[in-house]
Amino acid sequence: MTDSLAVESELPTSLMTVNLGPSHPAMHGTVRLTVTLDGETIIEAIPEIGFLHRGFSKSSEQSTWHQVLPYTDRLNYVSPILNNVGYILGVEKLIGIKDTERSQYLRVLMGEISRITDHLTCVGAIGLELGAFTVFLYAMEARELLWDRIAELTGARVTTSWTRVGGVATDMPPGWEQKLRDCLPRVLELTDEIDQLLTRNRIFIDRTRDIGIISAEDAVDFGFTGPCLRACGVNYDVRKAHPYLVYDRMDFTVPLGERGDTYDRYVLRLQEIKQSYRIVLQCLEQMPPGPIIIDDWRYALPPKKDVFGSIEGVMAHFKLIMEGIQVPAGEVYVYTEGANGELGFHLVSNGKGKPYAIQVRGPGLPILSALPHLIKGHAVADLIPIFDSINMIGGEVEQ
Amino acid sequence: MPKVFVDGVEVEADARDNLIEAARRIGVHIPYFCYHPRLSVAGQCRMCLVETSDAPGRLLPGCQVKVKEGMKIVTNSPAVKENQRGCMEFHLVNHPVDCAICDQSGECKLQDYYMDYDHQPSRIRVNKLNKPKREVFGPLVVYDAERCIMCTRCVRFMDEIAQEPQLAVVDRGSHSLIATFPGQPLDSNYSGNTVDICPVGALLNRDFRFQSRVWFVDKSPTVCTGCSNGCNVYAESRGNLIYRLLPRRNEEVNQVWMCDEGRLTYHASNEKRVEWGEVQKAIELLKPLTGKPGIAVAISAQCTNEEATSAFLLGAELGASRYFLCGKPPGKHDDFLVRGDKNPNTRGVQLAAQAFGVTLEEAAAIDGSVKALVAFRTDGLTKLPKPPEVFVAISQNEFEASVVLPCESVYEQDGSLVNWYGRLQRTWDSVPAPRGDAAPAWRWAERILTGLGATNGPQSAADAFEALAQRLPDLQGLRFEQIPDDGIVLKNQLPSEWPARAPRP
Repeated sequence: MTDSLAVESELPTSLMTVNLGPSHPAMHGTVRLTVTLDGETIIEAIPEIGFLHRGFSKSSEQSTWHQVLPYTDRLNYVSPILNNVGYILGVEKLIGIKDTERSQYLRVLMGEISRITDHLTCVGAIGLELGAFTVFLYAMEARELLWDRIAELTGARVTTSWTRVGGVATDMPPGWEQKLRDCLPRVLELTDEIDQLLTRNRIFIDRTRDIGIISAEDAVDFGFTGPCLRACGVNYDVRKAHPYLVYDRMDFTVPLGERGDTYDRYVLRLQEIKQSYRIVLQCLEQMPPGPIIIDDWRYALPPKKDVFGSIEGVMAHFKLIMEGIQVPAGEVYVYTEGANGELGFHLVSNGKGKPYAIQVRGPGLPILSALPHLIKGHAVADLIPIFDSINMIGGEVEQ
Repeated sequence: MPKVFVDGVEVEADARDNLIEAARRIGVHIPYFCYHPRLSVAGQCRMCLVETSDAPGRLLPGCQVKVKEGMKIVTNSPAVKENQRGCMEFHLVNHPVDCAICDQSGECKLQDYYMDYDHQPSRIRVNKLNKPKREVFGPLVVYDAERCIMCTRCVRFMDEIAQEPQLAVVDRGSHSLIATFPGQPLDSNYSGNTVDICPVGALLNRDFRFQSRVWFVDKSPTVCTGCSNGCNVYAESRGNLIYRLLPRRNEEVNQVWMCDEGRLTYHASNEKRVEWGEVQKAIELLKPLTGKPGIAVAISAQCTNEEATSAFLLGAELGASRYFLCGKPPGKHDDFLVRGDKNPNTRGVQLAAQAFGVTLEEAAAIDGSVKALVAFRTDGLTKLPKPPEVFVAISQNEFEASVVLPCESVYEQDGSLVNWYGRLQRTWDSVPAPRGDAAPAWRWAERILTGLGATNGPQSAADAFEALAQRLPDLQGLRFEQIPDDGIVLKNQLPSEWPARAPRP
C-alpha cells in the first residue's frame, strides 16, 4: 500500500481542466464552471455566466413602467415578489407617492413568505446534493404549501407581477388568512425536521464545516450582502439598517454566523426562516383593513365599473394602458433586502413614460464573483456544497 | 419686442403673440381646444385661462389676450389649475363612453388633457344628453354630435381658410351642435382639414374611419402626388399599406393644410398593383433592337427626378430617337392649394429632359413609327391608338404591355420632385413592407442597362440624382442628401404669376 502510493507520487502528473455545467444537474440554473484540477484539488474555478442573460435593462427601456414588472419576476425567480416590491418602491420614490397602509403590510407579508420559499429552496438543494434527498422533499413540501398560498393570492405561483404603483394588484381572498395560518405550522414543522436531520448530522457537518470560508473583511470587500455576509458575523440587514415599508414596526432579530463557512450559511437560512415566520404572523395581526391601492387615476387603474361606465374612467384606463404612468424625470437608487441580500434598483426617468435606464444590483453577482476565492484549494467534492450555499440565482445574476 | 414673464421666466415675445404663443416660446404649454394659430380667436373652450398682472384676481383667456411689455403671466397657480380641472369636468359632462370605438382614440386632446389636468372620477349622476351620432356631412366627413365639444374650429376653418362657409352652430346651450345648411353638404375640396383640426373625435374622415387604430400606423414624411403643388404630407402606414395622408407643415407650400383629392391619392399605392415582373424578358426584347430606328421612351410626369434621369440614361443606351412626356390629364384648380396639372413632377421631368438635351413630345404623338416603347410609369398610356409591337412598361398599377415591370409608388421610394413653382422636395420611403418585386423605376432601368451591357445604371436614388445634378446648372453641386427636409427653391424657375392665395416662398 505504502509502496504503491510512493510510486504514484513519483509519476508525472499534469493539471486537468474540466467543465462543470452549464447543464449539470448540480449547477442550479445554467452556469458553467471551468475547474482546473490537480488530482482532487481545485487549483482554480472560473464561473462563466450569461447563459440566462435576457437583456433585462434594454428590454425595460422599451416598456412602460408597469410593463417592466413581469421582467422583475424573472430576476430572482425563487422569490419574485421581493423583486416586484423592490422595483415598485423605486418607481414610487421617483414619483413621490406612497402606497396605502394595507398594501404596505401585504407587501411585507408576501415578501417574507417569498423569503421563506427562497431559503427553503437553498437549504433543500444543499441537502439534496449532499445525498440527503429527504431534506429536499421536506423543503419542497413546505415550499409548495407557501406557493399555493401565493398562487391563491396573486394568481401565479412564480411569475406574480403582483405589485402596482401605489399598491398591490390583489387583496387576500376570503378564507385565505386562515389557510395561511393553517399551513404555517406545517412549514415550521418541516423546517424543524430539516434542522434535526442536518444541523447536528456528523456527515453533514464534516462536509460543510470550515468549507468555503470567507472572512468578514473579504466578504465586505467583495460586496457580499444578505445571509452570506451575515454568516461572516457582519450585522447588515437592510430591513433593520434602513427600514422600509412597515419593517420598523416588526419585532424580529437578525441571526448572525461566526465563521463564514458553508455550514454557517446553511444554518443562517434556517434561522431566517423562523424570523420571517414571526414577521408574517405580526403582519397578519397588525394589518389594517382598507384599500390596497391608492385612489389616484394618474397611477392606479380606475375600478372596472368606472372604466365601462364613465368617460373619465375609460380615458384614464386608456392612457394608463397605452402610454403608461407618467413618471417625472429623475434618478433614484432604491435598495431592499432580497432573499440573497441587498437588491438594488437604479431607475432613471426622462419623463417620457418609459424608463430611460434601469440597472439592477442583483445580490448574487458580487457573491458569485467571490466563488473562485471560496473554492480554491478545496476538493472537487466540496465544490457543490459551496456553490449551493451561495445560492446563485441565474435570473438576477445574469439579468 | 415686448418682454413678458411667464411663471417668472423672462420671455422675449413678438408683439403679435398672444399669451399661449408667448408661453410656447419657453416650452410652457397652456392647454387649449378651440384656439388654432391660423384661425380667428373664439374663446370657446376656456381651457387657456391664466392669471396676469393686468387683471389681478381674474383669469384671462390666453388665446385672446395679447402680450404687453412687462406683463406677468402665471400658468400654474391654484386658481388656474382649478379652472382647468373644472373645464375638463364640464367638457366631459355629456361626452359618451366612446374611446373604445372612436377613431380619435390615441390622438385625442380630451384624453391627453383629462390625464394632465383632471384625472378625477365622474361626479355626474344623471343621464347624458343624446345627440345625433352619425351625421354624414359630406363625401369625406361624418359628424358625431355627442363627442363634439363645440370648439367651432371647423366652422372657422370653413369660413376663413377654405372660404366656403358650409358649417354653422345650431341650437343653444348644451343642445348646440355643428350642422351643414339644408341641401348643402360639406363638399368643399378642403373638408378633410376640419377632421384634422377637430381636437376630439367629433369629425371623422370617412375614408379612414374604422380602418386602423392610430397607434398601429407609423407616420413618415413624404410629398403628396395629387397635383403639381407638392403639398408636404405625412403618410401613415403599416405593412405594405398606407392608411391615410395628413398635411405636414410647410409655410411655403401648403401651410398646414391639404385638399381632399390629395388625401385620397394613396389609394393608387394600395390597390390594383403590379407585383411581379421578368426583367430578363424585357432585356431579350430590347437587346436586338438597340441602335435601330423606331425606339422611343415615354416618361410620366408622375416619375421622380431619379426615375426620369434613369429613363434618359436608358434611352441613350438604346439609341432612342423620340421621347414622350405622358401623365395624368389636367383637372380642376383653385387659387389656394390645388393646381390644374395633376402630376407632381412635370417640372422635374422637363428639367431632366433639358439636362440631357432631349426634346419631349406629347404622348398623343405616339404613332406607327414607334416600333418599341419603354414607358417609365404608364399614366395616360392606357388607350394608345396604335400600341407599339414591343412595349416594356414599368408600371405601378395593372397595365397591358409586352412586359410589365412593377414600379414602386412615389410614397414607397426615396426620391425628389419639383413642384409647379420650382421647389425641389424630397420624398422618403414611407411604407415599411415591400410589395412583391416592386422597385423604383430607376432600379428597373439599371437592371435593363446592366442586361444590355452598360455600366452607367444608377445604383441608388442618390446616384441617379447625381447623374441629373451634374448635367443641370440649377442643381450643380447639390447632393441628394443635402436636399433640406422642407425642400429648396430653384431660383431661376420661379414663375411670374401666382394664384391669389397660393403660399409662396
